Parts: sequence; C-alpha cells; structure tokens
Amino acid sequence: MMLVVLPWMALAVPILSLPLGFPWNETVVYRLNLLGLDLPVYLEGLAWGFTWPLRIGVTISAALLFYLTTQHTALIAMLFKFRLPFRFIYMVAATLQLIPLMVDEVRSIYQAQLARGLRTDVSIVKKLWNFLLLVVPLTLSSLGKVQTRAIALESRGFSAQVPKTVLYDIRFKTVDYLFFTCMAAVTLYLGYLYVTAGYSPFVRLRFLLAG
Amino acid sequence: MVLEAMQDILMHPIVVEGFSYSYPSKPNVLNDLSFRVERGEALGIIGPNGAGKSTLCKALNGLVPHFYGGRVKGRIYVVGMDTLKHTVAELSTKVGLVFQEPETQLSGLALTVEDEISFGLSMLGYPKETIQERTWQALEKVGLQGLEKRSPFELSGGQQQRLAIATVLAMRPEVLVLDEPAAQLDPLGKTQVFNVLKELLRDGATIVVAEHEIEELATFTDHLILLDGGRIVSEGVSRDVFKQVERLKSAGVDPPSVTELAYLVEKVCGLNRDHYPITVDEALSFFLELLEDGGRV
Repeated sequence: MMLVVLPWMALAVPILSLPLGFPWNETVVYRLNLLGLDLPVYLEGLAWGFTWPLRIGVTISAALLFYLTTQHTALIAMLFKFRLPFRFIYMVAATLQLIPLMVDEVRSIYQAQLARGLRTDVSIVKKLWNFLLLVVPLTLSSLGKVQTRAIALESRGFSAQVPKTVLYDIRFKTVDYLFFTCMAAVTLYLGYLYVTAGYSPFVRLRFLLAG
Repeated sequence: MVLEAMQDILMHPIVVEGFSYSYPSKPNVLNDLSFRVERGEALGIIGPNGAGKSTLCKALNGLVPHFYGGRVKGRIYVVGMDTLKHTVAELSTKVGLVFQEPETQLSGLALTVEDEISFGLSMLGYPKETIQERTWQALEKVGLQGLEKRSPFELSGGQQQRLAIATVLAMRPEVLVLDEPAAQLDPLGKTQVFNVLKELLRDGATIVVAEHEIEELATFTDHLILLDGGRIVSEGVSRDVFKQVERLKSAGVDPPSVTELAYLVEKVCGLNRDHYPITVDEALSFFLELLEDGGRV
C-alpha cells in the first residue's frame, strides 16, 4: 500500500502546494527560496497533496479487501441477482479465475528468460527493460489464449440468446439488509458533514487541514 | 436425385459436399472436400501440419465460417443442418468440439469440475435438474468421479482433456469432433483420453478425430481421411489407407511402425501379402505366419 500511496504523495504535494494557479491556494504557510525565486507554499495545496493519495489508498484497500474476503461463488451469484448483462458477469468471473494462471505464467516466462541470459544484476533502467521482456511474451501468449478460449466458449453455446441458467444461488439474509442500511446511513451522514462543514473546495474555498 | 441427396443428408450425421474455405488472411485452406460419416463410426483425419485438419474440425461445428469470416464454397450438413444457416450455439447441441489445449479451452467461469461440465448446458438455458443429471452422467462416462469439487485448473492435462470431453458430452451431441486431443498430453494422459473415446464408441457414439497419434488411431478408427494442402489425398477404410505407405510418407505422415515394417519386408523379400498389419497384435500374427512359412515367397 505504501508503494502506491507514497509516490503519489511525493508527486501531489509539490504540484499542489506551489503557486501553479490552483484557485484554492490562499493561505501561505512558508516561503521557499528556490533557484533565486521566492515561492510561496500554500497550506491548502499542502493539505490536499497529503490527503488525496491517502483517500486513493483507502479506496484501493477497500477494493482489495472485498476481493480477498469474498467467496467467488457468492460474488458471481450476486452479480446474477443484480441482473447484469451476462457478458459482464463472465468478464468478472473469468478475471478472478485467470489472474492466478497469469501469475504462474509470468513465473515460467521469467525462468525462460533467465535461461536465455536475462541479467538481474543491472541498473534500474535495464530493470525496466527486463520488465518489458516479461510483459510482452505474457501479453502475446494471453492474446493467443483468448482466441482459443473464445472459440471454446462459442462452441459451448456462449452466444445463445437464451436466459442462462444460474448455477449458483444466493439469498439476502437479515444481516445483509442491516448492513446495507447502516452503510447507506453512514454515507449520507458523511456526505452531509462534507458539504456543510466545508471540506470540499467546490463548496467553500477555505477549508481545514482535516480536509 | 434431390430426394436421394436429401435422404443422404438425413441419414448421415455428417455430410460434406464440395467444401472449400479460405480464411480472410489465408486462401484455399480447404479445397473441394467431400465425404460422409456413418452413424456410430470413428473417422480419423490425418495429415501433416498445415494440411487443414484443425480448419476442417472447426468447419464441422460452424466456427468456420461464423467465427472466422472468410469465403466458403460447398456445404456441410451436420445431422441434417446446414452449418452455414445455423449459429454455432445451435450446432453445439449436435456437434461437440474438443480442442488441443487442455487448459485454454476451459471456460474460466467455473470454479469446480462439475460447474465446468454444466457450463455448456447453463449457457443454453437448460433447467437445473436436467443439468445436474447430465453432469453426473458425463462425469461417470469420462471417469472423473470424485473430482467434482476440484478446481478445473488443478487437474492434470489428461484429466482436463477428459473434462473437456465431459463438458461436450453433457450437451448430448450426435457427433463428437476432436482436434488433436492428445497433442499436449503426456503418455498417461493420451492413454486416458483414447480409452474414453474407445468406450464412447462402444456405446455407439459417432466420432471424428484429427490426430498425429497414428498408432492409436489404428486401434479404433473405421475410416481415415488423409489431408494434404487442404485436399483429400486418400480416404477409405483405415486398413486400406494405412497400406498406402508411400503415399502417406510423401504427404509427411508416418504410417504405423508395424505397417511400414511389413511394407519394407515385402519390398526387400519380394513377398506378396494382400494385407498389412496395422496394430501390434496383428503384426504378431502376421510375422509369426511369415516365420512359419519359412520366409518362402
């Protein structure tokens, strides 16, 4: 997680806090003397620079948590219940299944490249090139596999314009309803706070560090 | 004349008439193919790589031309249905196609073996009870009982191919078409797959197999088609096709070792027998006979 959030912070803080013309930058906190220029560092930009990446981190964590703790069958059954188009459901389900396979394949491509003389004791730039040498074979082989899988699916009646029989079943329990209502309530409350207490730069231009 | 042709089409599970096909990017992959498959028989398709075996298999279930586009001449009738006039989904209940790659042809949607087998039926919207019943039957037919709850990706190659066959069997097709099913399998896997096919034949299935495993094909096919450059170079009863050792070799296909041996023995010793052995058992009796005759012409 730090791997995702910190680089973004490193990027966001300088960009947002310096006088690059962002409309919400008002309070000057510090003045930097850089390259002979007198640059003001704004509080708002600084604050935003820290909070935005953190929010992104929270979103990603939530998504990962969901993915890792949900039973696949339950997830697919839920998608069917929501009556999403079948092709979409297939996309989600196939991704769940096929990512581990891709990981295995990257491993074997890596071994194959090592056997062909791939060097790992090299500079960062060369390491980026090495990355390409792993990704390109993976992409090409995946494209080939996609075609085979597509014709296999077609041969099993994938495109038949009939309602598909749902293999997994799921029922909403009382706990689920309770959870949904709580979640909705909390969201509404937070939304209210957000708008009225002015954490958004679109409602009030002046906002606190906690925003 | 028309009535006879129609009867022909209705009585044979597969009727190919003057079929030619060109992919959008590759012309003349199949040239003027004509043959019939009888009910309950096993047809083997042999030929060098690039001869069009895969394309022919895909033409039998409608993928060619519906999925690939391209130009078609002639017709293929599967259980009386013209493949040009029916979708692949419609044909999937008549023709089941099993591909070479054991893992890649799995749907990727099913989390267990039994769900994978039910996949085709659920795509076609069959009711749950039918699906469960047929899934169980297909599972037994291919010998994968006990593995229903496993993930399809945890199986060995031979097991995955048998799973693919089960998936297709669940849809109760009239014809089973297999495109090099043993190509990517280890010897054990190959044996397992061919045993399943022989079992199915005993139950009266109609099977078309494109393969390189000549020795195996010799043990169970009734008819053979030798394909080269998209044309039928030789066809007929398996035994007769295998006998044409020279023609097979010039097309880049090796006949069964025992057949080739018998052929060479004849050439060298100047013997003249009217039949060659095509399996090891036949070879045993053939050569014992020869030895008994003392090698006399």
